[in-house]
Amino acid sequence: MSENLQIGVSREDGDKAVAVMRLKGSLDANTQGELESKAREAVDSGAEYLLLDMSAVDYLGSAGMRAVHAITNILSPDDPSMRSARLKILNPSPAAAKVFKTLGFDSFIDIHDSIDEAIAAL
Amino acid sequence: MRLKVRADLGQLSRIREFVSESALALGAEPASLDDLRIAVDEAVTNILTHGYGGPGDVELELIADGPDIIVRLRDQAPPFDPGLAPPVDLRPPGERDYPGGLGVHLMRSLMDEIVHQPVENGNELTMTKRDVVNIAGSSADEESR
Repeated sequence: MSENLQIGVSREDGDKAVAVMRLKGSLDANTQGELESKAREAVDSGAEYLLLDMSAVDYLGSAGMRAVHAITNILSPDDPSMRSARLKILNPSPAAAKVFKTLGFDSFIDIHDSIDEAIAAL
Repeated sequence: MRLKVRADLGQLSRIREFVSESALALGAEPASLDDLRIAVDEAVTNILTHGYGGPGDVELELIADGPDIIVRLRDQAPPFDPGLAPPVDLRPPGERDYPGGLGVHLMRSLMDEIVHQPVENGNELTMTKRDVVNIAGSSADEESR
């Protein structure tokens, strides 16, 4: 694992199979693949929904956003209409939130302040 | 302030750190650092992935020009003009397979001017962020060329 990005994964299963991925560090072209791999592992082990906690992301660029896009495909490979709905973003840092907004991702991926709120919205 | 590196994607964090430290030393407002870091990261990522197709030499220079910060990147990669990249596709994931053009869109959104110039054996990319240096302050208006 890169020293620039740490990814902690836990399950918050209730009515739905939910994995929470807590990211710490930089999400750039060097670490994009690690995030996609971890997301794929979570989905392969049964998660149907993913919450990405971005509160400790100190750098997010377009590569990170391509990873976010790739994760929506991983979550719903067969039903494009469900892609955005299975991924929620938690507490993005100001740096991350600005990139979401600049690239318009905030218009189709929900951003929540708390895990409880995000899970309730699934 | 100059940095010359044999760059690969693993060096992006070091390059971003150089941008932050240099811009601060030149008197840039702290609020402008994220934009500068992103623009340089995207430009270097493009040089490595689209230009060299792998690791390659990149020279990075930051200067203060009055209230502006100017970033100049030089490489020896085949000509690559980010301005000729395909237009960004900002549709939702359900309507697009792959989001192209995000990096160049970020660069254009966060910087005020981007000029690509082919030079002998490579490219020169000059990006300007306007009105981020407080020239009424102390050392910000030093001639630093």
